[in-house]
Amino acid sequence: MMTRRLICALPVLALTVASAQEPRRSGGEWWAYQPLKRPEAPAVRDASWVRSPIDAFVLAGLEERGMRPAPEADRHTILRRVTYDLTGLPPTQDEIDAFLADDSPDAYEKVVDRLLASPQHGVKWAQHWLDVVRYAETDGYERDSKKPFVWRYRDWVVDALNADMPYRDFVTKQLAGDELPDATVADHVATGFYRLGIWDDEPTDRQQHRYDVLDGIADTAARATLAISMGCARCHDHKKDPLPQKDYHSFLGYFENIAPYNKQSRTIPADGAREKFEAASATFAIESKRCRDELMRVAYERLAAKGGAAEGAAPRVVARYDGDVASATALLDESGEHDGKVFGQVVQVPGRKGQALRFDGDDFCRIPRVVEDSFSVSFFVRSDQPGRGNVRDKRWFTGTGLVDGEIPGIVDDWGVSWIAEGVIAAGTGRPEKFVSSAAGYNDGEWHHVAFTRDRRSGKLALFVDGQMAGETVGSKRPLRTPEDLVIGRARPGGEGFRGDLDEITFYDRALSAAEVAALALELPGGVAAAAAIDGTSALKQLSRLRAPEFETVELLAVREHGRDAPEPIVRLRGNVHARGPQVPLGVPGMLGEAKLFAPAPTRQSSGRRLALARWITTEDNRMTWRVIANRVWQHHFGRGIVRSSNDFGRLGDRPTHPQLLDWLACEVLDREQSLKSMHRLIVTSSTYRMSSDADERGLAKDPLNDAFWRFDRRRLTAEEIRDSILAANGTLNLERGGPSIYPQLPQAVLDTASRPGSAWGRSSPEQAARRSIYVHVKRSLPEPLLASFDRADTDSSCPVRFATVQPTQALSMVNGDFANLQAELFAQRLRRDTKGLRAQLARGLELVSQRPARRDDVARLVKLAADLQADFGRSEKQALQRCCLVLLNCNEFIFLD
Amino acid sequence: MNPRNMFCGRTRREFLWQAGGGFTSLGLVDMLSRDGFFSGSRPSDDPNAGPLAPKPPHHAPKAKACIFLFMYGGPSHVDTFDYKPKLYPLDGKTIDIQTKGRGGSKSKGRVVGPKWKFSQYGESGRWISDLFPHVGRYVDDMAFIHSMYADSPLHGSAMLMMNSGRILSGAPCLGSWVNYGLGTENQNLPGFVVMLDKTGGPISGAKNWHSGYMPAVYQGTVLRPTGEPILDLDVPNGMSDREQRRILDALREQNEAHLSHRSEDTTLAARIQSYELAYRMQSHAPEAIDIANESASTKTLYGLDDPRTEDFGRKCLLARRMVERGVRFVQVYSGGNHNDHNWDAHGDLEHNHSKHAGATDKPIAALLADLKQRGLLDETIVVWGGEFGRQPTAEYAQGTGRDHNSAGFTMWMAGGGIKKGVALGKTDELGNAAVERPLHVKELHATILHQMGLDPNRLSFFHAGLDQKLVGVEPVKPIRELIA
Repeated sequence: MMTRRLICALPVLALTVASAQEPRRSGGEWWAYQPLKRPEAPAVRDASWVRSPIDAFVLAGLEERGMRPAPEADRHTILRRVTYDLTGLPPTQDEIDAFLADDSPDAYEKVVDRLLASPQHGVKWAQHWLDVVRYAETDGYERDSKKPFVWRYRDWVVDALNADMPYRDFVTKQLAGDELPDATVADHVATGFYRLGIWDDEPTDRQQHRYDVLDGIADTAARATLAISMGCARCHDHKKDPLPQKDYHSFLGYFENIAPYNKQSRTIPADGAREKFEAASATFAIESKRCRDELMRVAYERLAAKGGAAEGAAPRVVARYDGDVASATALLDESGEHDGKVFGQVVQVPGRKGQALRFDGDDFCRIPRVVEDSFSVSFFVRSDQPGRGNVRDKRWFTGTGLVDGEIPGIVDDWGVSWIAEGVIAAGTGRPEKFVSSAAGYNDGEWHHVAFTRDRRSGKLALFVDGQMAGETVGSKRPLRTPEDLVIGRARPGGEGFRGDLDEITFYDRALSAAEVAALALELPGGVAAAAAIDGTSALKQLSRLRAPEFETVELLAVREHGRDAPEPIVRLRGNVHARGPQVPLGVPGMLGEAKLFAPAPTRQSSGRRLALARWITTEDNRMTWRVIANRVWQHHFGRGIVRSSNDFGRLGDRPTHPQLLDWLACEVLDREQSLKSMHRLIVTSSTYRMSSDADERGLAKDPLNDAFWRFDRRRLTAEEIRDSILAANGTLNLERGGPSIYPQLPQAVLDTASRPGSAWGRSSPEQAARRSIYVHVKRSLPEPLLASFDRADTDSSCPVRFATVQPTQALSMVNGDFANLQAELFAQRLRRDTKGLRAQLARGLELVSQRPARRDDVARLVKLAADLQADFGRSEKQALQRCCLVLLNCNEFIFLD
Repeated sequence: MNPRNMFCGRTRREFLWQAGGGFTSLGLVDMLSRDGFFSGSRPSDDPNAGPLAPKPPHHAPKAKACIFLFMYGGPSHVDTFDYKPKLYPLDGKTIDIQTKGRGGSKSKGRVVGPKWKFSQYGESGRWISDLFPHVGRYVDDMAFIHSMYADSPLHGSAMLMMNSGRILSGAPCLGSWVNYGLGTENQNLPGFVVMLDKTGGPISGAKNWHSGYMPAVYQGTVLRPTGEPILDLDVPNGMSDREQRRILDALREQNEAHLSHRSEDTTLAARIQSYELAYRMQSHAPEAIDIANESASTKTLYGLDDPRTEDFGRKCLLARRMVERGVRFVQVYSGGNHNDHNWDAHGDLEHNHSKHAGATDKPIAALLADLKQRGLLDETIVVWGGEFGRQPTAEYAQGTGRDHNSAGFTMWMAGGGIKKGVALGKTDELGNAAVERPLHVKELHATILHQMGLDPNRLSFFHAGLDQKLVGVEPVKPIRELIA
């Protein structure tokens, strides 16, 4: 992980933007737009209640209203509360026993430290963030395709929170992890943030949809980190806040260079892979050179012995484009029979021999289809570009064509192309068969490539630098589908090859390994010199050498178009086609005199997002620290100090305790932005430890508990409910990370999908019993139990969940397959744990309430079990299962005091 | 706190959301905390009401319920209800024509002449094709909009547009808005039900009946015409109703004991109450789908005796039963899954439309007849249509398949205070685009809301800093010409 110090040392220039066009607008009097200042904790009358300044702020407010804080919650209650709050799970019996037995004055603090150190802490708190960034694992719309490797982002959030990553880094990496110097794989994974939203693969207006997606990104980023309703200014000036439309478009500029999502994962080098690869490559290079030198020596010796004459039936050169003979419009075949045409600006540069052809991505040549049966194509290539596609999918037509006859669809075509990370691949169609090289040929050096195809056997082989990279058997048909061949671009268009090609030669049969080696070594006489080396031990050695593989990771991450980003313009009424005036890149003026950072472009991107992240996370940003302090508070107390935690503007709520909020925001900064430290600070306060019991005076004076005179009781979240059911019956699987799981869904739910048979996956019972954060989030098919308990809708940022009570929840919890199966597992556990119905029921009560069973509660269930046996002919086992169903439906189980 | 805003010691907003069967989030309060949160809609005045309690409309409604017959996939208007005589002789000819569909934008196309004959029906003399002879009999009760247009000619976004008013995913559906705005008269049934095709849901699945940024309580409930009508409605295998009652009684006692120390907490009380509501739903919903007592002639009328029409017929009959029982919004899908499982006739138009019209013509006519004879048609709007129509030209070099067309298509409505026997708007003479009185999907939505007593420009839900509306930011007028 990147340390804080490293991030601070980034080579990004801080500069104060001179108000070029106009003075920057201020946010006026509104509280949120004022600079952050640390308030003094107020004096209070009952100082004994004050454990931390938090309590002083809260108590001062209560005393002012003539109110008193509720008494401290009992030990069972506080343990249950804090365990759910910090891990999303109930305390275990051992944890309860240990806490009750611990008489030390810091027994509670020890519990807090234990919980914060638990890896389950990150699992719980990650979900809060995932709601805000609208984490889902599919795109929505017609195909609702899975987002590849999106779960790595979810795991990144869990890990970051568990590692207590400073909030600055937490934000910076998500917004611009890829732009950090020496970005790690994890830094790239964090930028999966940009790929979480809805995406229509078949939009009616592609440009407009691209901007709808960008709007989702900009709006979510602004709400998540700054709590401003940025999206409201897309089409017109903000109705309430001083946020003009042009500020929106200035802000959007930070994201406009992002390459549109295309369902594709990215493949990047694994951490340390480059070093490993380079070391292996160095060894390989030495070995390879030794073999070549030896071959060369043998070849010259033999050639000299035979007076330089080669022997054997040489293959015929069908066409040859050597780069020396080309004009601005024509690519000339040496023999003059098969001249090609130049499209774009193919230029000549000094090549491997004489001149070579240079392609800049937009340029290409067309030549006639010179071969179709048995053939070889041989050429030299040089590039330092990564190539198109990704190295997990090395089918030749995914890359940028070097020499290519690719036609979309399964047809009789062929080609040689350049794929991500400098892989060379080649293949034939119908059926699609391909061979590919190792990665890393994008080293800016010349490499010889030969692709051979024998029509009779169907054999295909690819050679790089005289060594076979792979062989396979493909089609035996004539490869006639392409009318002509393309050099420098894959046939279906798109991005072309960037680099140089030289000595492109077609032969009328598949060359032998020796012939290819002779070409690669540039032996005098070319292929004819093959005889001189054929059968030598040096050639055998060379053919046995294998280039090292490049270790990679596939992930979902952001990518930009390149270093140069477009200047932002206003899009009138939010319509992408209605181009308004150009605006400078920038952040909302209402947030004060902003210290802006000039983007420092990296090799692949504009550096704009890193500049934005730096601005968001500067200590004097007025919003950031209040916003995160408020979110932390919100998820401990059930509501933020500002209830609208995504909107601190005039459309949002005012803070109930503005001074406390500012004090907490300053604490975030003072505690090196450690969120765990903030959790500890908050949950050890007297304010947090109050009972949820009501008193008449409190209810009369402050029914909404604006003043925090008691702790607000809350319903467990959807995830907590499901996880707690699994915890109660002892089947909860705490395994973390990896691809999502598929708990079994009722057929009736699967039938609502447009492809009922393939809508959902299948997990083993053990996997299906993992925590709910790992349940697949499919936009068109929400998991019904979690959805009915108000799991966030993922199409837009969800700062605060609903917590509804509705009959459909009752139906699923009483009649549903899941609830009934879990009740059975619960009963089985009780029978394993203890003997005798009464003891089993008492134990069951303890497992759902985390407190000793009350006698009358046990008696009630014993009576129920007896009735079920006597009146309904149930066995004791069946009766216990039904009692367990009751336990799982208890309010005491579902609510947290 | 100003006592004016208090209800029995609670604020109005807390009250609305916490009261029996209602919402319980204190966190939620942030979204409700501005005065006038509900200004656009109608909170119930009943202090014990839940979120689905009946709420007074904005104005006197013409319609109490809406049945939306969704012809998923996009039926061809020029082969059904939009008579284009000039199209027949052009069959097979390639003409200059601007189209935009799945295959992108084109400026030429091979005309596919309508594959069915049109005849005039009723006193109004409207032209209807041979695909809908039964429906044709009720033409004098219907109002056609021949000039519909939508923002997208592609299923994914077009479905969202027709159901939620936007091509971007995440907004509540028309049924959710009705549910939110009016509540339901029958607490024992959902206020918004959806019946899907037996081949599967439409693309985007639940998004088509989702409540988007509203609470899930407003989303559509999938109702199955046979077996367990609603998910988890059936008592588990082997458990009798009496046994379950005994279990629920024990649960209630348990929860009441818990409540006794927390008596101020209406949420806990609401949750106790929710089990009683669920229990009542268990007995009412099966009754609602039990058609055993329907007369033989009714069953025949809906085509339940014919395997072609049995499925859709049963759903139409259930739609009537739902409306009778106070359900506000019923959506019935004709077509599901992909390709020829729905009206998406890209390949063989004749095969596709014969199949789907054949399955729906008689049931739809029966629904109109049945509603009418029971006096329900006057207070129920029936809406027919798909997410778009189809092009007059062929999609491929061969075959009769037509590509999507959102530039002009036909929908019709009947009942619920909609004018009878009228037609509004026109497409060009080839049926390619709306040319006279073009009407957007939003105007259709506005009309439905208006007929149900809701002002489309006032019905709002505060989300993400905006009073969100079904019809969007700009005011939209109901289609006056269609309102009786």
